[in-house]
Amino acid sequence: MVSPASAAYVMWYRQVKRFVRARSRLVGSIFQPIFWMVFLGLGFTSALRGAPVFGGIDYLTFFAPGVVMMAVFFTAFFSGTSIIWDREFGFLKEILVAPASRTATILGRILGDVTIAMLQGVIILALALLMVPSLNLTGFPLVLAAAFFTALQFAALGTILASKLKSFEGFQLVNMLLAMPIFFLSGAFYPVDALPGPAALAAYLNPLVYGVELSRRALTGMGFLPLPTSLTILTASSIRHFLVAVWSFEKTTAE
Amino acid sequence: MEEVIVAEGLTKVFGSLKAVDEVSFTVRRGEIFGFLGPNGAGKTTTINLLTTLMKPTSGRGLVAGYDIQREPQKVREKIGVLFQDITLDRELTGWENLWVHGLIHGIPRRLLRERIRELLAFVELEEWASHQVKRFSGGMQRRLQIAAALLHRPEVLFLDEPTLGLDPQSRNRIWDYILELRREGVTIFLTTHYMDEAERLCHRTAIIDHGRIIALGTPEELEKSLGSEMVYVKLASNSLQDAARMAEGLKNVEGCRVQMVKPGEISVSTIKASEAIPRIFEKAEGLAVKIREVTYHKPTLEDVFLHLTGRKLRDEEVSGMEAIRIRHRWWR
Ligand SMILES: Nc1ncnc2c1ncn2[C@@H]1O[C@H](COP(=O)(O)OP(=O)(O)OP(=O)(O)O)[C@@H](O)[C@H]1O
Ligand SMILES: [Mg+2]
Repeated sequence: MVSPASAAYVMWYRQVKRFVRARSRLVGSIFQPIFWMVFLGLGFTSALRGAPVFGGIDYLTFFAPGVVMMAVFFTAFFSGTSIIWDREFGFLKEILVAPASRTATILGRILGDVTIAMLQGVIILALALLMVPSLNLTGFPLVLAAAFFTALQFAALGTILASKLKSFEGFQLVNMLLAMPIFFLSGAFYPVDALPGPAALAAYLNPLVYGVELSRRALTGMGFLPLPTSLTILTASSIRHFLVAVWSFEKTTAE
Repeated sequence: MEEVIVAEGLTKVFGSLKAVDEVSFTVRRGEIFGFLGPNGAGKTTTINLLTTLMKPTSGRGLVAGYDIQREPQKVREKIGVLFQDITLDRELTGWENLWVHGLIHGIPRRLLRERIRELLAFVELEEWASHQVKRFSGGMQRRLQIAAALLHRPEVLFLDEPTLGLDPQSRNRIWDYILELRREGVTIFLTTHYMDEAERLCHRTAIIDHGRIIALGTPEELEKSLGSEMVYVKLASNSLQDAARMAEGLKNVEGCRVQMVKPGEISVSTIKASEAIPRIFEKAEGLAVKIREVTYHKPTLEDVFLHLTGRKLRDEEVSGMEAIRIRHRWWR
């Protein structure tokens, strides 16, 4: 019998080790959100000064909590989808042929992705604080919770996607067609509750919206949904995605 | 003797291709069993089936007493696999790769540290333990993979082309490791498309082609099935016509069986080469065909494969020259 805890731990260890070792990935994923805040955030702040849409706060204050979740989203999602590289480079076979429980290994892997995504989120939050000192830090635990479930959500979604799509080209296409709308329709850039019908519907179906909503609620007190509602939707949908990820990994073969 | 691997009518179909076609064999405890075949013969697919990575289309397989379809988890507890391609995490170090491997195979940590040390020594990679695998040469990656496959002391070891594409030095090293395991009595299922590898390492070998086993036995049995000696005749001209005339002429020469005819070349199996060669020369003289060179040697697995399929295992290998044990030359 292989201890599920050991198996989960070592998969977590591997994901974290790989991330820490890939310096360029680390640096890139920190600089990108900073660029968003500096070039987009500061720009719109001065252009939209006094615009009523952002509930009386300036654009950068509105935008920064969203950028934190965007960073979490990208890191978790791409880390989750990187299982396709494991298939490509053969490492996946090593896992599939091992006696460790598949549930334990995929749990460990996803928790590894969650760890690095949350780490990312916290770093970005710290940097955001330098630019927007007015952010309310008493909301920090709630931001962590939002980051955790958002990371779980998208690491799981990435895993599901990578185990369904085996041709690399198809995978890249779906990846782009999915990641970009999720990103732009996350509520990070503009309030999604003001969108016209179909777009608003798409936004409500976007799991990232609830993470951004919670983060903004926690750090600025602003939001368009009651806190329990967004928290419930986020946890429920991330747990659901996680279970689907476990289930699809259980059935994975080398074919 | 106890049977550790049993395959009964194992079949795997990909679309319209039968990659593995009704394959049946058994491997006994402590035996090294070889699968010898050319590219695309179905060797890796057979390993994928037996190691539970793929489900057979039909047929049955038992590994260490467990059914590969009904008890895959049990099978996984008993096996170690060296995959044909590199399955290491290239970003991690040598030590970290073994650490990951050990923990997903349930080795307790303290014991694992000890085993990692032992095995890094066994494959002579101690100095590379803390380097990332992407800095390793092909031979070093292969050796690290062997260490990983052995780490959890599996009851059955699957080695898919363990020396493919390696330089002769690395190849010899890996052979030494395998011979060491053979002495220790580990049961090994090995695939290869090198004759000499099968001859040197395996107790028994199955020759596989287009997903089917076409011969099975000890290397000696397989070679004997051809007659006891092989004579190669090279003609002075490179013409197929001359070779065909020679082959035709040799048909009714006592004790000679023509195995292969190519432009300027024929091969003949015979009981006693020393008696057959003068007759071959006589025939050539009668047909006015000039012989440039005659060599003879004991049949190799290469000859067996050629005899069974009419093809060579590897095109780049010239008539198993490396296996020639006795060599004679005549000039006219
Ligand atoms: N997943 C797959 N899907 C479709 N066809 C496959 C798959 N895997 C293998 N095949 C085909 O099955 C046949 C047998 O392949 P296999 O890899 O088992 O051969 P092999 O004997 O290991 O060859 P090699 O010496 O090249 O490793 C080949 O024709 C191959 O193209
Ligand atoms: Mg193969």
